[in-house]
Amino acid sequence: MERTRAILVDISKCIGCRSCEQACKQVHGFPAESELKLSPTNLTVIEEHGDKFVRKMCNHCQEPACASACLVGALKKTSAGPVTYDGSKCIGCRYCLVACPFSVPRYEWSKLVPYVKKCDMCAVRQEKGQPPACVEACPTGASIVGWREDLLDEAERRILGGGYVKHIYGSEEAGGTSVFFISDVPFEKLGFPAAPKQSMPLLTANALGDVPTVVLVGGSLLSGLYWITQRREAVARAEGNIAYPRTTSNDKERS
Amino acid sequence: MTTNVSKMTLPKMTLWRMIVALIFAAGFYATYARFALGFAKATHLTDAQPWGLWVGIGTLCGVGLSAGGFAIAAAVYLLGFERYRPVLRAAVLVSFLGYSSVIAGMMYELGLPWRIWHPIVMWNRHSMLFEVSWCVMLYSTVLALEFSPALVEKIPFAGIRSWYLKWHHEVLIALVLIGVVLSSLHQSFLGGLYLLTKGKLDPLWYSPNLTTLFYLSAIPAGLAVTIIALYLSIRSLDVKLDPRILTEVSRVIAPLLAIYAIFRAVDLSKNDALGYLWMWREETLSFWLEIGLLVIGPIILLNMDKVRNNPRNLYWTCAMVVAGFMTNRVDVSVTGLQRTSGVYYVPQWTEFAATLMVLTVAVMVFRYCVIYLDILPKNGTSTENKLPPRLRWAIKGAAAEA
Repeated sequence: MERTRAILVDISKCIGCRSCEQACKQVHGFPAESELKLSPTNLTVIEEHGDKFVRKMCNHCQEPACASACLVGALKKTSAGPVTYDGSKCIGCRYCLVACPFSVPRYEWSKLVPYVKKCDMCAVRQEKGQPPACVEACPTGASIVGWREDLLDEAERRILGGGYVKHIYGSEEAGGTSVFFISDVPFEKLGFPAAPKQSMPLLTANALGDVPTVVLVGGSLLSGLYWITQRREAVARAEGNIAYPRTTSNDKERS
Repeated sequence: MTTNVSKMTLPKMTLWRMIVALIFAAGFYATYARFALGFAKATHLTDAQPWGLWVGIGTLCGVGLSAGGFAIAAAVYLLGFERYRPVLRAAVLVSFLGYSSVIAGMMYELGLPWRIWHPIVMWNRHSMLFEVSWCVMLYSTVLALEFSPALVEKIPFAGIRSWYLKWHHEVLIALVLIGVVLSSLHQSFLGGLYLLTKGKLDPLWYSPNLTTLFYLSAIPAGLAVTIIALYLSIRSLDVKLDPRILTEVSRVIAPLLAIYAIFRAVDLSKNDALGYLWMWREETLSFWLEIGLLVIGPIILLNMDKVRNNPRNLYWTCAMVVAGFMTNRVDVSVTGLQRTSGVYYVPQWTEFAATLMVLTVAVMVFRYCVIYLDILPKNGTSTENKLPPRLRWAIKGAAAEA
């Protein structure tokens, strides 16, 4: 696989200044008031859990459930790493909201022409070689951007250095993401969902893979049954055992 | 004669008309709210519960309860069970109206309903919903074609009529076959939609076999709806149908439910969900309500002669199956997701109103079809009714020809 961009969030370094929230709002032209939760105008949020500050945003899964769910392919995993959303395709079914193992995408419920909103890791900025706005704004280096493999190494190095929970959240969750979290407090105490540690699209891939089999086997089975039915009826008719002829209106009309 | 009948039933009709008028008034407001005020004002949907009643009842139940059409069509055309033929058209009509309602409901459910055609040109074959949308489009077309002779035979031009019916006869078996395959696929895939909710959906409902479970439960529930429609037609639409045909259709419901129950039990134990069966939780209560209504109650009742052979009792038992089926779909789409989503979703009244209006329109169309088309044999002229219904149409067609 190509090298892809990723973000590492070190929860032990976050001081809760919300610079990332503000930078994100500024880049997207959203109103500047701080919000407590993810919303269509707040694509990243700092949630307080005890004395810890936990950043929440789209995790940019390697194999995103949302992208596999989207029936028109509005959500895509780009080769650069970000999971992007093309509003011009979206029909507003909101299956992506149902499918996301981290419950991240938001919907513009109060708009008459509503779209899905979620972080796109500043895909356009990154194409121009700029870091995501949130990372650029972080004064403590709690969020850093880099190549996915490099960041995994960095996270591992920090964990081995001691003082961290021995798990990189995002290394296995939903089959691996492109946003990693390391923490000095267990993740379940910080409101991280226990997402399945497997590729989400695989959950539906098996059933979808059955389609040709169902069509072929089911189709031939039914044709076979029809043939038997017809044959049985033909025999019965030839023997004169049938109660009333199986006449259809069109047979009659033609005769 | 007809005026007499309508006079006699006039007081009852007025009550029903009032109810229908109320449903329409509420439904029109709900429509206004949805399109002029938006989801936030018209629904209680949130980011944590993005699919509510319109999906749980409107889509999942709407499609599931329309399974009677393909089951009866397969029984008559492919398996040669001629005894079901008299109710074939009614079953296909119920299914067609069911699917039409689902599509109408989609207009409320989708955020951008004017883009409902997008899946035709924008493909994502990794998406369960993509497959569902294609199957629903194709199968609705198949149902419309299967049903079309009922309309075409009313066309006053004999040439067009016989040309169409001849053409229709050529492709009918192929249509039925395609219809059965398509239905089987997307009844299953509706369950498949929830395969992605692993970790979110309660263990009592999450299963890698959701596809099969949805399929196995849809067929008996669809047949139950067919019986309900037939019973109501006999009772209030002047339809002359031997009530024994209801018993005949119901005969397969209990075995199908038993197969579903066994599959469900094995599946629960395979998913290590048995421990949840006796926990004092809202989910577990809802689970037992569902099992009681969908499986235990109907299987016991349908094994009793006085239920099987009494149309009224049969009707209420079928209503029970439908209620149990609906509980199951609501459990999968709402109740089972509550704990992890952290919200307690109760639909806003406008959500009910919109769904109810769509359903009411479907029931009214069914009623007018039975009255004005040859869907079911009617008590009118006596001579024709002694013949099997297909023959009766045949004679009518021939008479028109002459």
